[in-house]
Amino acid sequence: MIAVHLAILSITALIGLVFSYLAITERDLLKAVAYSAVQAIAYAIIFYLLMAPDIVLAYVAIAVGIYSALLIFVIGKTGRYEVV
Amino acid sequence: MKRLAGLIIVLLIVLTVSCYVSRMVPPQKNLHPLGEFYLQNSYFGRYSAKSPEAVTSIVWDYRGVDTLFETAVFFLAIIGSLTLFRLNKGQAEEAKRGEPKLELPGPVATVTKVTVAMILAVSASIALHGQLTPGGGFQGGSALAVAPLLIIAVYTKYALEKNGLDKTRAIIIRSIGLLGIALTALVPLLLGGYIMQNQPIFPAKALGVPLGGSLVFYNFFEYLAVGAGFTAVFLLLSIPEEKFRKFLGVRR
Repeated sequence: MIAVHLAILSITALIGLVFSYLAITERDLLKAVAYSAVQAIAYAIIFYLLMAPDIVLAYVAIAVGIYSALLIFVIGKTGRYEVV
Repeated sequence: MKRLAGLIIVLLIVLTVSCYVSRMVPPQKNLHPLGEFYLQNSYFGRYSAKSPEAVTSIVWDYRGVDTLFETAVFFLAIIGSLTLFRLNKGQAEEAKRGEPKLELPGPVATVTKVTVAMILAVSASIALHGQLTPGGGFQGGSALAVAPLLIIAVYTKYALEKNGLDKTRAIIIRSIGLLGIALTALVPLLLGGYIMQNQPIFPAKALGVPLGGSLVFYNFFEYLAVGAGFTAVFLLLSIPEEKFRKFLGVRR
């Protein structure tokens, strides 16, 4: 049983890593926010598997809801594309 | 293409390092003595917080002062953003002027109504059950803050303000929450205890439900403070940028 948990854990950790990489390299900031929300969902699953339900409850609301919304407000007030 | 190459390199590095490190770390066999203390004491032991939820009893009882300072940091963060966005009376009136209008298709509105009701119920149960089940004031409050956020996204912020939840009210609710936390921390001093003391000053049970003494009060007030604090910031952030430009006198 623990092997299944560890397998899910490593897969979600990889998903989180891939999406955080995508979020960092993306030029379209709205897409980057969406990627970071996917990464947050993966990490929420990790927290749940590591038996930290208290963290999950705060993390889902903040990282998926409030943090994304805050960044979308900021993008709405500035520009959508990252200019280098 | 370049991104894909970078991704593969990052994945390879992380996998190699984690494989290498995981061989060096021995697996954990036993609980830490500190963890054992909390598990044994949070409900049954001599230093009981009378709460079956070990995490909440650590957060608001054993390590209560930490959480008190954390709440103070959060309070300062909200105060800071409110100060950045301060408006005079006329500007505040103008910021409120506007009609709630639905910019999204009808089904979205219906789903939002149902979801907002569900979020309110779930967040209240997270916060008020915090001494029994995983959850607590901060978790419940941050879930509560998603509800006005959804309303702002779907119906614009004017819908919230027309229904009575404007910035001033949000700040008042938040102040009530913070005042409640401060009073709950100070009450034991009046009864001859020390600051933030929980047992045996606060009741352990009411109507057969374990309350965890002061934990239920802290959770409830933190719920109000966090939810309303976030709501106030969102109400300010959702003022359209054109109005801000006008207030600040920026011409572009």
